[in-house]
Formats: sequence, C-alpha cells, structure tokens
Amino acid sequence: MTFVSNTPPPAKPKLKAFVKRNGNQFIVLGLIAALLLAGSLVSDRFATSRNLMNILEQSSALALVSLGQTLAVLTGGIDLSVGSMISLASVLLSGITDGDPSMVISAVIFVLLLGAFVGLINGSAILFLKVHPLVVTLGTGAALQGATLLYTMGPAGKMPLNFDYFAYGRFLGLPVGALVAIGLFFSVALFLRYTRFGRYIYAVGDDADGAKLMGLPHNKAILLVYAFSGLMASLTAVFLVSRFGVGQPYTGANFTLTSITPVVVGGTILAGGRGGVIGTLLGVYLISLLNNVLNFMDISSHYQQIVQGLIVIVAVSVYVEKKRKL
Amino acid sequence: MLTLTHISKSFPGVKALTDMHLDVRAGEIHALVGENGAGKSTLTKVIAGVHQPDDGQLEFDGEIAHWATPGAAKEAGIHVIYQEFVLFPHMTVAENIFIGHERRNTLGFVDHKQTRKDATELLLRLGVNIDPDTLVVELSVADQQMIEIAKAMVHKVKLLILDEPTAVISGKEVDLLFERLKALREDGVAIIYISHRLEEIFEICDRVTIIKDGCYVADHDVSSVDRNQLVSLMVGRDMSELFPAKASIDHIGETVLEARDISVAGRVHNASLQVFAGEVTALAGMVGAGRTELAMAIFGGLPMVSGEIEIGGTVFTHMTPAIAIREGIGLLTEDRKGQGLAMHLDIAANMTAADLASVTKLGFLNRPQEEAIAHDEIKSYQIACWGPRNPVVNMSGGNQQKVLVSRWARTCRKVLILDEPTRGVDVGAKAEIYRIMRALAQKGIGVLMISSELPEVIGMADRVFVMRDGNVTGELVGTDVTEEKIMHLATQRLAS
Repeated sequence: MTFVSNTPPPAKPKLKAFVKRNGNQFIVLGLIAALLLAGSLVSDRFATSRNLMNILEQSSALALVSLGQTLAVLTGGIDLSVGSMISLASVLLSGITDGDPSMVISAVIFVLLLGAFVGLINGSAILFLKVHPLVVTLGTGAALQGATLLYTMGPAGKMPLNFDYFAYGRFLGLPVGALVAIGLFFSVALFLRYTRFGRYIYAVGDDADGAKLMGLPHNKAILLVYAFSGLMASLTAVFLVSRFGVGQPYTGANFTLTSITPVVVGGTILAGGRGGVIGTLLGVYLISLLNNVLNFMDISSHYQQIVQGLIVIVAVSVYVEKKRKL
Repeated sequence: MLTLTHISKSFPGVKALTDMHLDVRAGEIHALVGENGAGKSTLTKVIAGVHQPDDGQLEFDGEIAHWATPGAAKEAGIHVIYQEFVLFPHMTVAENIFIGHERRNTLGFVDHKQTRKDATELLLRLGVNIDPDTLVVELSVADQQMIEIAKAMVHKVKLLILDEPTAVISGKEVDLLFERLKALREDGVAIIYISHRLEEIFEICDRVTIIKDGCYVADHDVSSVDRNQLVSLMVGRDMSELFPAKASIDHIGETVLEARDISVAGRVHNASLQVFAGEVTALAGMVGAGRTELAMAIFGGLPMVSGEIEIGGTVFTHMTPAIAIREGIGLLTEDRKGQGLAMHLDIAANMTAADLASVTKLGFLNRPQEEAIAHDEIKSYQIACWGPRNPVVNMSGGNQQKVLVSRWARTCRKVLILDEPTRGVDVGAKAEIYRIMRALAQKGIGVLMISSELPEVIGMADRVFVMRDGNVTGELVGTDVTEEKIMHLATQRLAS
C-alpha cells in the first residue's frame, strides 16, 4: 500500500492493458497465421478463395454451437446436452416440415424455442436441484437422444430445395452461415462487454457465492446462458439440416465434445469467469484450418482427431495459472 | 441507525442466536466482541440479509426491515466486508468497485471510460494509489480491503460491517484503515467493528456489545470498561480455569525436534526453532506470518529450499510426510475439513487413517479391531457420537477436532504439531483439547501449537516462538510469555 500522492496514478499504456486482456487471443491468432503459411506451403490449392470460403462454410456449425457453449463455460458450467439437442432439433425440423415450404418458418421457430426451453430446464435443474451442470446436462443429453430415437430411427422427412441457402448460399460473395455466425459472435461480444448483464455473467463465473452476496442476478444469469446455449444448439441444427437436406438422429452426436474444444483453445477457462467469445471464434477457425491443412497433407481424419485432442491439452496447459503448489 | 431486538436464529441442530440485542448509532464505531463460535458471523449475516431471523425485530434507519436477500440489505445501505472479501479476482479494480452499480451511458451501455474515471477519483479520495485497470487478483490483501471500502462508498453506505479486518493486514496498513474508518464515522456512517484484538477496540471504537454463546451479554461505552472486564464478559468465566497447569521444570526432557534455518520459497526465511519433550511450545504471530508454512515444511508438506531438521539425533535436509510420520511426527492441519478429516468416512476410519498398518492383517482391514480402538478412544476423549461408525460429517467442530487429535496422538511418538487446534470449537471442547495437549506433553511428547489467540498461547505454552513476515523474531520461555512481549515480537511496530 502506498500513501497519498498528489498526482493521480499514472495512466497505464493502453496497449499493455489491451494485450493483457486479450493475450490468449494473440496466441491463437499467431497459430492461425502459422497454419495459413503452412497450408500455402503444402498445396497450391490451399490459398484459393474457393478453399477459404469452404473452410468458412464448413466451420459455421461448430461456430454456432460453441458460441452457446462459451457462455455456459464462462459461468463456470458446461453444457453437455448440445449434441443431442442438435440431433433432436434436426429430426423435428425436417420431420415437421416434410417438404412443405409453408411449414418451414413455423418449424424453424418451433425448434429454436424448444432449444431455449430445454436450456431453461437445464438451468432450472442446476439452480433448484443444486446439481452440477455437468451432471444435469449429461442427463438431459441422454434423455434428448432417447426422445430423438423414439421420434425416428433414421432420416426423417425432408426440406424444400431452396432451404439450403443458409448452408450454401452466398451474400456479398461470403457464405451466409459464416456471416450469421460471425454476426452473432460480435453481438454477444458486445453484449458481454457493454451491458450490465454481460458483466454479471463474468461475475457469476468468477465467484458465484460472491455474486449472490453482492445481490447480483445470479439465477437469471444461469438461466439465460443455458437457454442461449440450447437456442444456439437448435440454430446449429437448422444449419445442418440446411446443409444435408434432411434431419438425422445422430447428426449432433460429435458436437457435444467438439463444441468445448474451440472454447478452451480460445482461452476461456473451464473454471469460469475468464475468457470470451472472440477467442472461441478464433478457436473455431484454428481447428477448421488445421483439419483443412491436414486434409491437404493427405492425413486421415483419424489422425486429425488425435492432433485435435493434443491441441486441447497443450492449449489449456498454456493458459493454466501457475498456482502455488502445496 | 440499526436496532435488533430479541433476534433468534437456529440452524439444524444448532441454536446460533438467542434473544440477541444490538443497538448501533449513526456516526459511531461499534465493536462486537465474543469468542469464536459466539455467533458474531451469524449475526452479521442476519443483518446483511444472508440469513433471515426466526424471531425478533430488525429496525434499520427508522424502519422495520425484512430482507429476503443480501441484495435488499445492500440496497438499503448496508455493506459488509467479510473476512473473505467479496471481490471478483479476474475483474479489474474499477469493474469491482462499480459492480452492481455500473456506470452507463445514455443508451444504457456500460461506459468503461466513465467507470475508470470515477474509480480513479474514488481511490484518490480514499488516499490510496491503486491503478483502476489492475486485476484484483494481482493486488495485495491490504489493497483488496481498500477496494472493499471503495465499494462501500459507491453504495452510499449507511452501515458498514467489518469482520476481523485486521486479521490479514498489519502495521501501517492498520493505521491507514483506522484513518479511513474515522473519516467514515465523521460522515455519519454507522460502523460495526468485529475483532478479536481488544487493543484495537480501545483504540478506535466508541461502544462495544459483548455476545456469548449466541446471546446478548452487555453493551458499554468503551471508555467505561477495561480490558479484564471485557474478557470476563466474553468468556463468562475466569480464563485460568480453561487451562491445565503448565509443565514443571523437571518434566522437561531433551530436544525432540530442532529445525535450523528453514526457508520456504517466498514465505519463510531462515527460521529456526526447537521442540522439547514434555513441553507445549507455541508458534505465535499474525495470520500470514508464515507459521503454517514453517510447520508444513517441518512435516514435509511444503518443500524447504534450505535448512535442516533434526529429529531424535537424525538430520534431514529433505522431508516428506511419509518420513515425518515414520519418525514419529504428527500434524493437525488448520483446515480440518479440507486437509484433515475424510468428512464422509466414520470415526473409526478417520482415527486409523494415519496408521492403517496397525489394523491390517494379511492385507485385509480388521474392522472389529478398528472399531475396538475407536471405541476406547471415544471413551477417553469423551467424543459425542452414537458409535465408532458415526460419520464425522455430522459431528460438531469440537468433536471432529477430538477425532483428529486422537488419530495423531495414537501414532505420533515424538512431536505433535497442531495448527490452530481450537479454531471454531466451543469453550467446552476447547478446555478438553487443552487438557489432551497437556496430557500428551506429560507422556513425553513435544507439542507444537500454532495459535493466533493470545490468551490460548499464554495459557498453554511453556515456550513461545514468535514469527513475523516469515522470520522467527524471538523465543520466550516461562514467565517471559506475556501478551506484551508476544505482540511486540509479532508486530515489531517500533522496529519498522
């Protein structure tokens, strides 16, 4: 502690504070740059706009689902029900629509609301049954998968042809899905930084008991993030149905765990309270780029999984705080 | 400003507050004193809206109040600085100060520039030089406390409650804190000041309310009571009854443990001490002075970067808990629940945990034997339970502590280290633990007790080592063990 000086404390160089706040993201940006370079060396076809658009397009599903996941992780929780939610929303969307263009809009709205509703159930169970998010969402995830299989064992219904605009369409030359995802990421980033509620999401993740003692809206924050995560899972399903033309009962199976990868790679700490969505977006592109480069190197997707797994562990070890050990 | 009448609060199995009274006026610093477990924390939480009273009336600022949540009490103008600060470690100073009262622009969005500017101004008014962009996790404890006070000022505080604010700071920092509190008193803020350190109460408080076993005992103007009156009101009996007689000179045996020039990275610097068989040796000092770390290093729980430990003639430069236990050393950790007891196991399993070999035959646990051992121990320590298989999780703090003492008393042959052995236990259990410690010493064991409570140190210790900022600043023996001498060594305000 220092005693009064008559001058105000020196203004810290803004750049330094900025780097401190966003340090993790610079690491990811650096890795992305390295991968772009590596890709260009590996193949002439890598640095073409066609390939890069392709990467953007393919990464949209992962981006959408991990956006919701990021908020859950920021509050110190996790949402393991997203994969099954995607599967359920996929089959319901194409099953209800069943090729009828007049049904599309109501079916989309229905599955989006359903996703948010399931999220509210998750949040309520976490808050009122006082069960850890991991267990709650593991449970709802299993239940949702069961419901999906009760509804259909195989591809259900079909979508009108022009429904593929979300997945394959171009707007101003850019993939529509990617534009939607990027737009949502930046909106949420602004929400987190410039609204009181955004601040409270961090507070709840940093110290949940403290947030309660301070009288901050802890419960609302939890309900909101899980509802949002469910909503984003459903939106991911809409994208995937648009891409495949039909909903399938295992469409989302891989997304539960892969949605966590970009979150942690992007610097959001699993304990909550630290990180942000822009890091996650960069994490999504890092992983998509990596897979793309490995494809060009003719490395099978099984190896891609191994590499991805290693990256997660290395990334987290870089971000982890060096705590004093007992 | 605040009047409590007939306030009662029970938790399952415990009556925490009974018929409590408290009257705090605007513009005064009101001390709340009582022993550990007397109900001060519960009372604080009732006032702060964390707990709702079962009975009685709470009047604040002229109105009868029923706060359902901490938020409601905060809204009314009550701010509590708990021992564990309510700060968000990974947010900046400015963000923490204005949490819940974010500075916003006309569109309703958080205005980061204004937040920073207001925070700078507020900190300047407090007279502290802290960068509002720093993350709270990077601040010293004293600075974090200042952030808590800054928060109180943002919230237009009418009643400020401080729970043991000086437990974590020292010297100059205490002076600065007192200056701030006096300034707030000038502004008409009512302050409830909870502290174990009676000298502080005489230094800064105007009135004092004494609480004992959850009940109101008395309130006085500070100027009309003296120290001894306060202590006897708090304890409700003569302190000397609590403590068994000290060791007589002919009881004292050889040195059983000698630590020489022990250093633990960043926490302990070249600390030396000796423990003699038959004696109770205390390690005194402020919280954070490095006592726990020194004890942990001796037990092998923390790596020592330099120094050596001699136990019964053998010298060790590297120590692990396994070696320590083998050499006959036991350690009761400060954190009973986290590092000591397996809370969901039963008494018998906890008692034999450090010495499972003694109840193992051919690789199998001999459960009847384990129960027989526990049965005897329960009797000799008078542990309240239904039997050896009673899980420790639903026992009182005092009884849990007895289980731990029993575990180590059975296995340690030379030295038993106890870190804050009576924290959070009631007076009866305290006396029992003191008796057990003395009995162990009489059996020829060297007892090393870490304690922050001076009466306990003075009542129990035959020999005292005092620590300050990671250094052992002195050793006191016999009649030299006095409050003044210990405090002098522990703070050394004169030297600094």
